Amino acid sequence: MKRTAGLRTTILRSLHQLVSRKIYIAAMIGVPVFCVIFFLSLLGPGLPLKVPTAIVDLDNSQMSRQVIRSLNAMELVDISDRCDSYVEALDKVKNGSVFGFFVIPTDFQQKALGNDTPTIDYYTNLTYFVPGTLAYKGFKTVAVSTSGSIVKTTLVSAGVGDRMAGTMLQPMVFQEHPMGNPWLNYSIYLTNSFVPGVIALMVMLVTVFSICDEIKRGTSVGWLSDAGGSIVTAVAGKLLPQTVIFSLVGIMCQSLIFGWSHFPLNGNPWHMVFAMILMVIACQSFALIIVGALPNLRLALSIASLIGILSFSVTGFSFPVQSMYGSIGIFSYLIPLRYYFLIYVDQALNGIPLYFSRWYYIALLVFPFVALLLLGNLKKHCLRPVYVP
Amino acid sequence: MCLNAMNPMTDIKNWFRSLLLVWRREFKLVFSDPGVLLFFFALPTLYPVVYTLIYNPEIVREIPVAVVDNCRTGESRKLARMIDAAESMHVIGYATDLQEARRWMNSHDCFAIIEIPHDYSKRIGRGEQAVVPFYAEMSLLLRYRAMLASLTDISLTNGADIRATTLAAAGLSGSGESASPVNTEAHFLGDPDQGFASFVIPGIIVLILQQSLVLGVTMLGGGAVERRRRNGGIDPLQIQAPASATCIGKALCYLVLYLPLTIYILHYVPEMFLLPHNGSLVDAMVFIMPMLIASIFMGMVLQIFVTERESSLLVIVFTSVVFLFLSGLTWPRYAMNWFWTLMGDCVPATWGVEGFIRINSNGGTLEQNAHPYIMLWILSGVYFIGAYCYWRWCAGRRSRITV
Repeated sequence: MKRTAGLRTTILRSLHQLVSRKIYIAAMIGVPVFCVIFFLSLLGPGLPLKVPTAIVDLDNSQMSRQVIRSLNAMELVDISDRCDSYVEALDKVKNGSVFGFFVIPTDFQQKALGNDTPTIDYYTNLTYFVPGTLAYKGFKTVAVSTSGSIVKTTLVSAGVGDRMAGTMLQPMVFQEHPMGNPWLNYSIYLTNSFVPGVIALMVMLVTVFSICDEIKRGTSVGWLSDAGGSIVTAVAGKLLPQTVIFSLVGIMCQSLIFGWSHFPLNGNPWHMVFAMILMVIACQSFALIIVGALPNLRLALSIASLIGILSFSVTGFSFPVQSMYGSIGIFSYLIPLRYYFLIYVDQALNGIPLYFSRWYYIALLVFPFVALLLLGNLKKHCLRPVYVP
Repeated sequence: MCLNAMNPMTDIKNWFRSLLLVWRREFKLVFSDPGVLLFFFALPTLYPVVYTLIYNPEIVREIPVAVVDNCRTGESRKLARMIDAAESMHVIGYATDLQEARRWMNSHDCFAIIEIPHDYSKRIGRGEQAVVPFYAEMSLLLRYRAMLASLTDISLTNGADIRATTLAAAGLSGSGESASPVNTEAHFLGDPDQGFASFVIPGIIVLILQQSLVLGVTMLGGGAVERRRRNGGIDPLQIQAPASATCIGKALCYLVLYLPLTIYILHYVPEMFLLPHNGSLVDAMVFIMPMLIASIFMGMVLQIFVTERESSLLVIVFTSVVFLFLSGLTWPRYAMNWFWTLMGDCVPATWGVEGFIRINSNGGTLEQNAHPYIMLWILSGVYFIGAYCYWRWCAGRRSRITV
């Protein structure tokens, strides 16, 4: 009975703390909502098609114009510049007006038809990965098909049947099936990883801030006594309202991603909702572990932000964990966000049975128990609050 | 302050004196604040190293792939061998059917399935096109990109082999038709190995410079607000100086501290990890100077939102992600709508990343990057005016009246 009363008082105290300062509202609701809108709106087109590129046509023949027409007809690239030389085109790459260029050499037509094997060179600026890759893909397609059409003409003139000559261009092809994201939509890929990342970051920061702020202001003794002296009740009472708010905000973000934007949700929506709530709790526990080990507002906050920002990279959203150095990749398994991401891949993108993701849910459930071990240390510091700037 | 207001020479002298005093005081403030030291020194020193270590394997190799061979002929086995030999893929085994392969994929044992159809070799023998389905798991586009590139090469090489054999069988070999009449050659500028660290780190380090400056500056500002709150509106550690001298004096202090750090980040980090590093260091340093200045003044403007030392973290940290995307490193700026382009224009790192990448990775010169360079100076000016207004009307007001 006493415990319930303590819990109620701490929850009220926590709610009071949350509404007492604008920064809590901004951090808990403002930032995640801004970020989900930011990503959905910024990455709206899905693929940055029509990459600005240049053409260097040194041949100016009927065949080279045909090549330029094929390039212009592609949705991947946009021939926005015509240059007279390689140097001029390279200069355009270096000042950023184009992301690549395609060079048709002098006497291209003459050599191609005369079996003299001219070389088509295409250059893409890979310092910008996405447009560079798209331009490369477009250039390669045109370069290969140009070569192919000449092969076909030669074969037909050598007496090979028209149909067979067509097949001979590409006797075997791979038929791509990008499962779950057939449009290769970047927004699906980035929004689903970065928005939960921002939520995880804010959960950790707010948890650390709200607990250490009590220590900084010296009100932690009152906080503990409100909870009847139990650190577990105190922490539970303080964090429960935040859990509810963050989970609701997270679910709202999910509904914007999966509902409003119709991003792939091939499994049961409840599995994702459940994962979001568990991730919020796991991140709070992660923050508690930091606070328990270092009950100093500035240090704990700095560490939470350093880890929060690093987790965008180390959880392997963009570069796979399997390819990282083992000693680095192992850290990804210490971060709650990693498990949410893996659940998302299984349950939303691929829609496979829950059974295959069971360990990820369990991993998220482990974090609160680890945090419990460190609460004793936090209690000690709450009873003797010292603010070290 | 200005007792002898009639004499402009004395005014100027006093202004410079107060500038030097602000500068000296700021040094003391920075070095007596462990929180700021963490952002000003530890973060720019360690973060670039940590980030590069994460991405340093550069390319994705040996992605586990399952093969379903319904054909079981010499040709199909050759294809499987070619797939296994590709740098990006590793065949973990033959699955009996698609269901089994799918089970492997669901258990996270492989990330792609290649299903060789039962009539694969028959079609090749008949001179018809053989189509091989390739199912890829799409959680990471980098994996898909690597596998697709290998498969395209395989289909071209294997295709050329098949063509040569078929034409030879038809008695057409030797007439040059089997070889490609046109050579095509791809060149990757700035990142010739298509490595991920080589692509992302030059941009990230510029963003780290900006964010660490902004975090440090706002934390110092938050500390000053706290002192003012405790002392009835007066910051006892603040030098009484004109707002312009305060802004410039502080900025000079941070610039001096950041000079060695910037050389370390822009020169030694790429050097240490053998990342692309083609441009001249002088150009890069001259280019980055206005970005540092703009970031400092932007930090001073952002102090409006920071009323406490630690709240700077809550307000600033998440912006790193937003600024990263606005800079166009991941999602190119030409594909953004006007609003986000405009927002990106206001962030020093946007121009900093753009120009530094071109100087560092593409070997561009300062002249070739005149546009971002000028934009950075404009931003410096705009944020200086903002910072001036902050010190003139918000932060320093109460204390000036009291004095």
